[in-house]
Amino acid sequence: MNMAATTSKPWAGLSNKIASETGVAGIVFMILALIPIFVPGYTTYILPQYMLFGLLAVSLAFLWGFVGILSFGQAAFFAIGAYAMGITMKTSMGINPAYVGLLVSFIIGGGIAAIVGYFLFSAGVRSTYFVLVTLALSIMTEQIAVSQSDITGGWNGMYMDRITLTFFDLGKMVLSDDMSSYYAIFILVIISYLALRYLLSVKFGKVLVGIRENEERMTALGYNVSLYKTSAFALSGAFASFAGALYGSHANFVSPSLGGILFSTEVVVWVAIGGRHSLLGALVGGIIVASISNYLSAWTPEYWQLLLGLIFITVIVFFKGGVAGAVKSLYGLWLERHKR
Amino acid sequence: MEVAASVFVDATLITLVLALAAFGLAIIYGLIGVINMGHGALLTLGAYLTWAATSSGMPFLIAVVMASVGVGFVGLLLEHFLVRHFYDRPFDSLLLTWAFFLIMTEIIKIVFGTDFRNVANPLPGAIDFGAFSVPAYRGAVSLFSLALIGASAYVYFRTSLGIKIRALIQNREMASLLGLNISLTNKLVFVTGATIAGLAGSLLCPMLSIDPYIGNVYLVRSFFVVIVGGLGQLLGGTLIGSFVIGGAETLFSLAFKQTFAQTVVFLLAILILRFRPAGLLGTK
Repeated sequence: MNMAATTSKPWAGLSNKIASETGVAGIVFMILALIPIFVPGYTTYILPQYMLFGLLAVSLAFLWGFVGILSFGQAAFFAIGAYAMGITMKTSMGINPAYVGLLVSFIIGGGIAAIVGYFLFSAGVRSTYFVLVTLALSIMTEQIAVSQSDITGGWNGMYMDRITLTFFDLGKMVLSDDMSSYYAIFILVIISYLALRYLLSVKFGKVLVGIRENEERMTALGYNVSLYKTSAFALSGAFASFAGALYGSHANFVSPSLGGILFSTEVVVWVAIGGRHSLLGALVGGIIVASISNYLSAWTPEYWQLLLGLIFITVIVFFKGGVAGAVKSLYGLWLERHKR
Repeated sequence: MEVAASVFVDATLITLVLALAAFGLAIIYGLIGVINMGHGALLTLGAYLTWAATSSGMPFLIAVVMASVGVGFVGLLLEHFLVRHFYDRPFDSLLLTWAFFLIMTEIIKIVFGTDFRNVANPLPGAIDFGAFSVPAYRGAVSLFSLALIGASAYVYFRTSLGIKIRALIQNREMASLLGLNISLTNKLVFVTGATIAGLAGSLLCPMLSIDPYIGNVYLVRSFFVVIVGGLGQLLGGTLIGSFVIGGAETLFSLAFKQTFAQTVVFLLAILILRFRPAGLLGTK
């Protein structure tokens, strides 16, 4: 808000916040690295899916928390990535289809987001309308997946194999067993998280936060705001799609509902609860809320969704920063007390 | 010729039915600026309450009245406990009404289950006009929709309540300084919008099979009706928007599958939004 008066301060504050996140991130990733060793079996099979949901949440937090654009269509990109992966894996080619599939899904997700984003942002469409368009994007993705059943398998969904990672002449890593799939996805999630965090720490990210705080001022300062917003949305779509591609191959399956309005909503709820201003908060929020959802859905699906809705309201009304925000301010209080 | 006539009649009926579905949303969005993401859930609730009332033996018209009042009451609770605290924060009210949608959908699933429900058509048969025929019930609902919009136009332009609401849109602070009870007017508008949403759900339900998610697609369609028609263009905008969205869907359904036609219509709406961000009738 007061960026003109103290030009460097809010940005310095931001990088401080990011620095304090590193320690927590280390602990979280350490725990995730150890889980398969101590709790093998089903957990090792299911947790990578939640990590990918977490990455999906991170892609939304990047957009919502740092640029101030809310997308109700993240699940659409997730599903698009999964379908792109499945279709690519079916075509035979000289090089490893897994890499082609991951690249294709990244580019398609990013490309669609770039087109939609540029189209709307360059016209200065207001942010609430953007929410509705992305909501429509979700519905459209689901409907296309259902209606183009020759390609997508319609309601029955599409099956695909686990991918194989090849390292040139050094050998290959078949991900058909859960343990290796777990660590491959684990590493890719960490890399994606670090990549997005890096983007936020350089000038690009600072301009994005500037746009969130005061769009008119950034325009007046000569920044091409719609280009920045488009790039941010494209990156967000690309990572969501990438997560979807990995999800499809890990779960061996993608169905139209993965792109639908309900799943899109869930992503928004995860990020709101985890904390939209923190990529790590979103990641952990995605993993934990999705795990609890899965656990409780088997037991009492309706009441759990009801509770989730109530938690969502509570977060919006009272804790806008989500759990990550609450933890941060508690930590700040603790620091202040110990300084005195 | 006969095909043309029946397409025209179809398009007119769809326009008016869609206008009815979108009108509650248009009222709330256009008059008090709240993006009511719970609109779809209110429609669904109206449909289920109608089903509950008719299946317990009540006549259809009484069921419709009860359902509308019931949904209006839910709207009152929503406004009183959540929405009214967020009139100056439209983005938060969007999220909150979306949360309401989630909660309402779950409550509907808990109370009514997820099976398909059907309400018997109270006016079966069709009226034959020679060149074309009109399904009696659909025709009646369309006429009602027209009458409702006409009545709202009367209230809006010819009564003192209408003047108060227009004053509220023009200048909130000044209206409040001049002694207009803003919070009461807001509440009245919101509850009216919710009641009309319930009424729409109730009147639509004999034409479709009811499941907890019927509101979803109507939510997005209704928004496109409102946005395409033009924000604040309550009456003409709703009709034009419905005509574009509903009419286009009728035309595209001739060429494509129904689900695909819907996708094409959404694309069309996004195109219009891009080139006329204030809507077809809007002035910026």
